Amino acid sequence: MTDHPADSVDPKLLEILVCPLTKTPLEYDAENQELISRAAKLAYPIRDGIPIMLPEEARRID
Amino acid sequence: MTETKTHEALVGGQFGARAAAYLGSAVHAQGADLQALAGLVERRSQAQVLDLGCGAGHVSFHVAPHVGAVIAYDLAPEMLDVVAQTATKRGLANIRTQQGVAESLPFQDARFDYVFSRFSAHHWRDLDAGLREVARVLKRDGAVVIIDSISPGVPLLDTYLQAVELLRDPSHVRSYSCAEWIAALARAGLAPIATSHFRLRMDFPVWTERMRTPKVQCDAIRALQRATSKAVTSYFNIDDEGSFDLDIAFMHAAPERG
Repeated sequence: MTDHPADSVDPKLLEILVCPLTKTPLEYDAENQELISRAAKLAYPIRDGIPIMLPEEARRID
Repeated sequence: MTETKTHEALVGGQFGARAAAYLGSAVHAQGADLQALAGLVERRSQAQVLDLGCGAGHVSFHVAPHVGAVIAYDLAPEMLDVVAQTATKRGLANIRTQQGVAESLPFQDARFDYVFSRFSAHHWRDLDAGLREVARVLKRDGAVVIIDSISPGVPLLDTYLQAVELLRDPSHVRSYSCAEWIAALARAGLAPIATSHFRLRMDFPVWTERMRTPKVQCDAIRALQRATSKAVTSYFNIDDEGSFDLDIAFMHAAPERG
Protein backbone atom coordinates (compact mmCIF):
# COMPACT_ATOMS: atom_id res chain seq x y z
CA MET A 1 0.00 0.00 0.00
CA THR A 2 3.07 2.22 0.15
CA ASP A 3 5.90 2.33 -2.35
CA HIS A 4 5.69 -0.99 -4.19
CA PRO A 5 3.78 -1.80 -7.39
CA ALA A 6 0.17 -2.74 -6.77
CA ASP A 7 0.50 -6.32 -7.98
CA SER A 8 3.72 -7.27 -6.15
CA VAL A 9 4.02 -8.43 -2.55
CA ASP A 10 4.72 -5.83 0.12
CA PRO A 11 8.37 -6.49 1.13
CA LYS A 12 7.62 -5.61 4.78
CA LEU A 13 4.98 -8.32 4.81
CA LEU A 14 7.31 -10.85 3.19
CA GLU A 15 9.81 -10.29 6.02
CA ILE A 16 7.50 -11.63 8.70
CA LEU A 17 5.59 -14.32 6.81
CA VAL A 18 6.26 -18.01 7.46
CA CYS A 19 4.55 -21.20 6.33
CA PRO A 20 1.37 -21.50 8.44
CA LEU A 21 1.88 -25.27 8.75
CA THR A 22 5.59 -25.59 9.51
CA LYS A 23 6.37 -21.99 10.65
CA THR A 24 9.49 -22.12 8.47
CA PRO A 25 10.69 -19.35 6.09
CA LEU A 26 9.21 -18.95 2.62
CA GLU A 27 10.95 -18.37 -0.69
CA TYR A 28 9.46 -15.72 -2.93
CA ASP A 29 9.11 -16.87 -6.53
CA ALA A 30 8.49 -13.56 -8.31
CA GLU A 31 8.08 -15.13 -11.74
CA ASN A 32 5.30 -17.52 -10.75
CA GLN A 33 3.96 -15.23 -8.00
CA GLU A 34 4.16 -17.91 -5.34
CA LEU A 35 5.59 -18.30 -1.85
CA ILE A 36 7.37 -21.63 -1.56
CA SER A 37 7.48 -23.64 1.66
CA ARG A 38 10.18 -26.29 1.15
CA ALA A 39 9.36 -27.88 4.52
CA ALA A 40 5.66 -28.34 3.72
CA LYS A 41 6.29 -28.93 -0.01
CA LEU A 42 3.66 -26.32 -0.82
CA ALA A 43 3.55 -23.25 -3.04
CA TYR A 44 1.17 -20.57 -1.74
CA PRO A 45 -0.32 -18.42 -4.52
CA ILE A 46 -0.05 -14.63 -4.58
CA ARG A 47 -3.14 -13.06 -6.11
CA ASP A 48 -3.26 -9.32 -6.80
CA GLY A 49 -0.25 -8.92 -4.53
CA ILE A 50 -1.94 -10.76 -1.64
CA PRO A 51 -0.30 -13.99 -0.40
CA ILE A 52 -3.02 -16.60 0.14
CA MET A 53 -1.67 -18.42 3.20
CA LEU A 54 -4.19 -21.25 3.15
CA PRO A 55 -2.83 -24.81 2.69
CA GLU A 56 -5.97 -25.85 0.78
CA GLU A 57 -5.27 -23.10 -1.79
CA ALA A 58 -1.60 -24.07 -2.13
CA ARG A 59 -0.02 -26.13 -4.91
CA ARG A 60 1.81 -29.38 -4.01
CA ILE A 61 5.44 -29.38 -5.09
CA ASP A 62 8.05 -32.18 -5.09
CA MET B 1 -27.61 -32.37 2.24
CA THR B 2 -27.18 -31.18 -1.33
CA GLU B 3 -24.03 -29.22 -0.63
CA THR B 4 -21.37 -29.29 2.04
CA LYS B 5 -18.71 -26.69 2.65
CA THR B 6 -15.86 -26.22 5.06
CA HIS B 7 -16.35 -24.02 8.10
CA GLU B 8 -13.80 -21.58 6.66
CA ALA B 9 -15.76 -21.34 3.38
CA LEU B 10 -18.90 -20.69 5.42
CA VAL B 11 -17.30 -17.89 7.44
CA GLY B 12 -15.68 -16.41 4.33
CA GLY B 13 -18.97 -16.54 2.44
CA GLN B 14 -20.99 -15.03 5.29
CA PHE B 15 -18.64 -12.09 5.76
CA GLY B 16 -17.14 -11.56 2.30
CA ALA B 17 -20.50 -10.53 0.92
CA ARG B 18 -21.18 -8.18 3.85
CA ALA B 19 -17.88 -6.30 4.05
CA ALA B 20 -19.36 -2.86 3.35
CA ALA B 21 -22.13 -3.42 5.92
CA TYR B 22 -19.52 -4.06 8.62
CA LEU B 23 -17.50 -0.98 7.65
CA GLY B 24 -20.60 1.17 8.17
CA SER B 25 -21.98 -0.65 11.23
CA ALA B 26 -22.25 1.66 14.25
CA VAL B 27 -21.97 -1.31 16.65
CA HIS B 28 -18.63 -2.21 15.05
CA ALA B 29 -17.21 1.22 14.15
CA GLN B 30 -17.75 2.90 17.53
CA GLY B 31 -17.27 2.03 21.15
CA ALA B 32 -15.41 2.76 24.34
CA ASP B 33 -13.56 -0.53 23.79
CA LEU B 34 -11.93 0.88 20.63
CA GLN B 35 -10.90 3.98 22.59
CA ALA B 36 -9.47 1.69 25.28
CA LEU B 37 -7.36 -0.17 22.68
CA ALA B 38 -6.08 3.13 21.31
CA GLY B 39 -5.23 4.16 24.88
CA LEU B 40 -3.22 0.98 25.43
CA VAL B 41 -0.94 1.69 22.47
CA GLU B 42 -0.51 5.43 23.06
CA ARG B 43 3.18 6.36 23.01
CA ARG B 44 4.07 2.91 21.62
CA SER B 45 5.18 4.34 18.31
CA GLN B 46 7.35 1.32 17.46
CA ALA B 47 4.78 -1.33 18.40
CA GLN B 48 3.91 -4.12 15.96
CA VAL B 49 0.21 -5.00 16.15
CA LEU B 50 -1.79 -7.94 14.82
CA ASP B 51 -5.52 -7.31 14.34
CA LEU B 52 -6.72 -10.90 14.34
CA GLY B 53 -10.02 -11.40 12.54
CA CYS B 54 -10.00 -7.73 11.59
CA GLY B 55 -13.33 -7.75 9.73
CA ALA B 56 -13.85 -4.27 8.27
CA GLY B 57 -10.75 -3.04 10.14
CA HIS B 58 -12.11 -0.89 12.96
CA VAL B 59 -9.42 -1.96 15.46
CA SER B 60 -6.69 -1.35 12.87
CA PHE B 61 -8.01 2.13 12.08
CA HIS B 62 -8.12 3.09 15.77
CA VAL B 63 -4.65 1.87 16.75
CA ALA B 64 -2.67 2.53 13.53
CA PRO B 65 -2.11 6.28 14.20
CA HIS B 66 -0.26 5.40 17.45
CA VAL B 67 1.93 2.43 16.48
CA GLY B 68 4.67 1.33 14.10
CA ALA B 69 2.74 -1.13 12.00
CA VAL B 70 -0.52 -3.07 11.97
CA ILE B 71 -1.25 -6.33 10.20
CA ALA B 72 -4.98 -6.60 9.52
CA TYR B 73 -5.61 -10.34 9.26
CA ASP B 74 -8.85 -12.02 8.20
CA LEU B 75 -10.24 -15.04 6.41
CA ALA B 76 -12.37 -13.02 3.98
CA PRO B 77 -10.44 -11.32 1.14
CA GLU B 78 -13.39 -8.97 0.48
CA MET B 79 -13.05 -7.67 4.06
CA LEU B 80 -9.33 -7.14 3.50
CA ASP B 81 -10.05 -5.18 0.31
CA VAL B 82 -12.37 -2.88 2.29
CA VAL B 83 -9.68 -2.47 4.98
CA ALA B 84 -6.94 -1.66 2.44
CA GLN B 85 -9.12 0.84 0.57
CA THR B 86 -10.30 2.55 3.76
CA ALA B 87 -6.74 2.69 5.16
CA THR B 88 -5.55 4.40 1.97
CA LYS B 89 -8.47 6.82 2.08
CA ARG B 90 -7.65 7.73 5.70
CA GLY B 91 -3.92 8.04 5.06
CA LEU B 92 -3.05 5.10 7.35
CA ALA B 93 -0.02 3.84 5.41
CA ASN B 94 1.19 1.51 8.19
CA ILE B 95 -1.71 -0.96 7.85
CA ARG B 96 -0.99 -4.10 5.83
CA THR B 97 -3.51 -6.83 5.13
CA GLN B 98 -3.00 -10.58 5.17
CA GLN B 99 -5.45 -13.41 4.57
CA GLY B 100 -5.55 -16.61 6.62
CA VAL B 101 -7.18 -18.54 9.47
CA ALA B 102 -6.77 -17.83 13.19
CA GLU B 103 -5.73 -21.38 14.04
CA SER B 104 -2.65 -21.34 11.81
CA LEU B 105 -0.96 -17.94 11.63
CA PRO B 106 1.64 -17.39 8.88
CA PHE B 107 3.85 -15.21 11.12
CA GLN B 108 7.19 -15.80 12.81
CA ASP B 109 7.37 -16.45 16.57
CA ALA B 110 7.48 -13.41 18.87
CA ARG B 111 6.75 -10.87 16.12
CA PHE B 112 4.07 -8.76 17.77
CA ASP B 113 3.87 -6.43 20.77
CA TYR B 114 0.08 -6.61 20.73
CA VAL B 115 -2.51 -8.98 19.35
CA PHE B 116 -6.01 -7.51 19.31
CA SER B 117 -9.05 -9.53 18.34
CA ARG B 118 -12.52 -8.00 18.38
CA PHE B 119 -15.79 -9.83 17.62
CA SER B 120 -13.94 -12.67 15.88
CA ALA B 121 -13.22 -15.59 18.22
CA HIS B 122 -16.83 -16.83 18.30
CA HIS B 123 -16.26 -17.81 14.63
CA TRP B 124 -13.06 -19.78 15.17
CA ARG B 125 -13.22 -23.49 14.50
CA ASP B 126 -10.71 -24.21 17.31
CA LEU B 127 -10.35 -21.63 20.09
CA ASP B 128 -7.42 -23.41 21.79
CA ALA B 129 -5.43 -23.59 18.54
CA GLY B 130 -6.11 -19.91 17.85
CA LEU B 131 -4.98 -18.85 21.34
CA ARG B 132 -1.85 -21.04 21.11
CA GLU B 133 -1.00 -19.18 17.91
CA VAL B 134 -1.62 -15.84 19.64
CA ALA B 135 0.81 -16.86 22.41
CA ARG B 136 3.37 -18.01 19.83
CA VAL B 137 3.45 -14.79 17.77
CA LEU B 138 3.44 -12.51 20.86
CA LYS B 139 6.70 -11.18 22.25
CA ARG B 140 7.45 -12.23 25.85
CA ASP B 141 6.57 -8.73 27.05
CA GLY B 142 3.64 -8.44 24.64
CA ALA B 143 -0.07 -8.40 25.44
CA VAL B 144 -3.32 -9.59 23.92
CA VAL B 145 -6.78 -8.07 24.14
CA ILE B 146 -9.77 -10.18 23.17
CA ILE B 147 -13.11 -8.44 22.81
CA ASP B 148 -16.02 -10.72 22.05
CA SER B 149 -19.64 -11.39 22.80
CA ILE B 150 -19.87 -13.85 25.66
CA SER B 151 -22.35 -16.29 27.11
CA PRO B 152 -23.79 -15.74 30.59
CA GLY B 153 -22.62 -19.31 31.26
CA VAL B 154 -25.92 -20.45 32.80
CA PRO B 155 -27.18 -23.35 30.61
CA LEU B 156 -30.74 -21.99 30.40
CA LEU B 157 -29.48 -18.69 28.96
CA ASP B 158 -26.52 -20.16 27.10
CA THR B 159 -28.59 -22.56 25.00
CA TYR B 160 -30.95 -19.76 23.96
CA LEU B 161 -28.06 -17.46 23.02
CA GLN B 162 -26.18 -20.05 20.93
CA ALA B 163 -29.44 -21.00 19.18
CA VAL B 164 -30.33 -17.47 18.08
CA GLU B 165 -26.73 -16.70 17.11
CA LEU B 166 -26.62 -19.82 14.92
CA LEU B 167 -29.98 -19.05 13.33
CA ARG B 168 -28.82 -15.54 12.53
CA ASP B 169 -25.45 -16.68 11.17
CA PRO B 170 -24.65 -20.34 10.38
CA SER B 171 -20.93 -19.58 10.73
CA HIS B 172 -21.39 -18.92 14.47
CA VAL B 173 -19.38 -21.47 16.48
CA ARG B 174 -19.80 -20.52 20.13
CA SER B 175 -20.06 -17.56 22.46
CA TYR B 176 -17.90 -18.70 25.38
CA SER B 177 -18.56 -17.82 29.00
CA CYS B 178 -16.09 -15.75 30.95
CA ALA B 179 -14.99 -18.85 32.86
CA GLU B 180 -14.41 -20.72 29.58
CA TRP B 181 -12.36 -17.79 28.32
CA ILE B 182 -10.13 -17.59 31.40
CA ALA B 183 -9.52 -21.36 31.24
CA ALA B 184 -8.76 -21.25 27.50
CA LEU B 185 -6.34 -18.34 27.92
CA ALA B 186 -4.59 -20.23 30.74
CA ARG B 187 -4.23 -23.36 28.56
CA ALA B 188 -2.46 -21.19 25.98
CA GLY B 189 -0.10 -19.77 28.63
CA LEU B 190 -1.83 -16.39 28.74
CA ALA B 191 -2.53 -14.85 32.15
CA PRO B 192 -5.34 -12.32 32.59
CA ILE B 193 -4.31 -8.75 33.46
CA ALA B 194 -7.80 -7.24 33.55
CA THR B 195 -11.28 -8.20 32.39
CA SER B 196 -14.25 -5.92 32.02
CA HIS B 197 -17.78 -6.36 30.80
CA PHE B 198 -20.33 -4.24 29.09
CA ARG B 199 -23.59 -4.74 27.19
CA LEU B 200 -24.49 -3.74 23.66
CA ARG B 201 -28.05 -3.31 22.44
CA MET B 202 -28.65 -5.37 19.29
CA ASP B 203 -31.33 -3.72 17.16
CA PHE B 204 -33.12 -6.70 15.58
CA PRO B 205 -33.62 -5.33 12.03
CA VAL B 206 -30.06 -3.96 11.89
CA TRP B 207 -28.58 -7.10 13.50
CA THR B 208 -30.20 -9.44 10.97
CA GLU B 209 -29.86 -7.17 7.91
CA ARG B 210 -26.10 -6.84 8.51
CA MET B 211 -25.79 -10.62 8.05
CA ARG B 212 -28.63 -10.86 5.48
CA THR B 213 -30.26 -13.51 7.62
CA PRO B 214 -32.93 -15.26 5.50
CA LYS B 215 -36.53 -14.56 6.49
CA VAL B 216 -37.15 -18.16 7.57
CA GLN B 217 -34.35 -17.84 10.14
CA CYS B 218 -35.45 -14.37 11.29
CA ASP B 219 -38.93 -15.82 11.80
CA ALA B 220 -37.45 -18.74 13.76
CA ILE B 221 -35.54 -16.35 16.04
CA ARG B 222 -38.72 -14.32 16.66
CA ALA B 223 -40.69 -17.51 17.35
CA LEU B 224 -38.03 -18.67 19.80
CA GLN B 225 -38.05 -15.27 21.53
CA ARG B 226 -41.81 -15.49 21.95
CA ALA B 227 -41.73 -19.10 23.16
CA THR B 228 -38.87 -18.81 25.63
CA SER B 229 -39.19 -18.33 29.38
CA LYS B 230 -39.36 -15.10 31.35
CA ALA B 231 -35.87 -15.83 32.70
CA VAL B 232 -34.47 -15.53 29.17
CA THR B 233 -36.50 -12.54 27.98
CA SER B 234 -35.70 -10.57 31.10
CA TYR B 235 -31.97 -11.46 31.17
CA PHE B 236 -31.44 -10.44 27.54
CA ASN B 237 -33.93 -7.58 27.85
CA ILE B 238 -35.75 -8.74 24.68
CA ASP B 239 -38.33 -6.22 23.47
CA ASP B 240 -41.38 -6.58 21.20
CA GLU B 241 -39.28 -6.00 18.05
CA GLY B 242 -36.80 -8.72 19.02
CA SER B 243 -34.01 -6.32 19.95
CA PHE B 244 -31.93 -7.42 22.94
CA ASP B 245 -28.80 -6.85 25.06
CA LEU B 246 -25.64 -8.82 24.36
CA ASP B 247 -22.85 -9.29 26.94
CA ILE B 248 -19.41 -8.28 25.73
CA ALA B 249 -16.12 -9.00 27.49
CA PHE B 250 -12.87 -7.03 27.17
CA MET B 251 -10.09 -9.40 28.21
CA HIS B 252 -6.54 -8.13 28.55
CA ALA B 253 -3.92 -10.86 29.05
CA ALA B 254 -0.19 -11.42 28.69
CA PRO B 255 2.21 -14.34 28.33
CA GLU B 256 2.83 -16.02 31.69
CA ARG B 257 6.24 -15.27 33.16
CA GLY B 258 8.71 -18.00 33.87
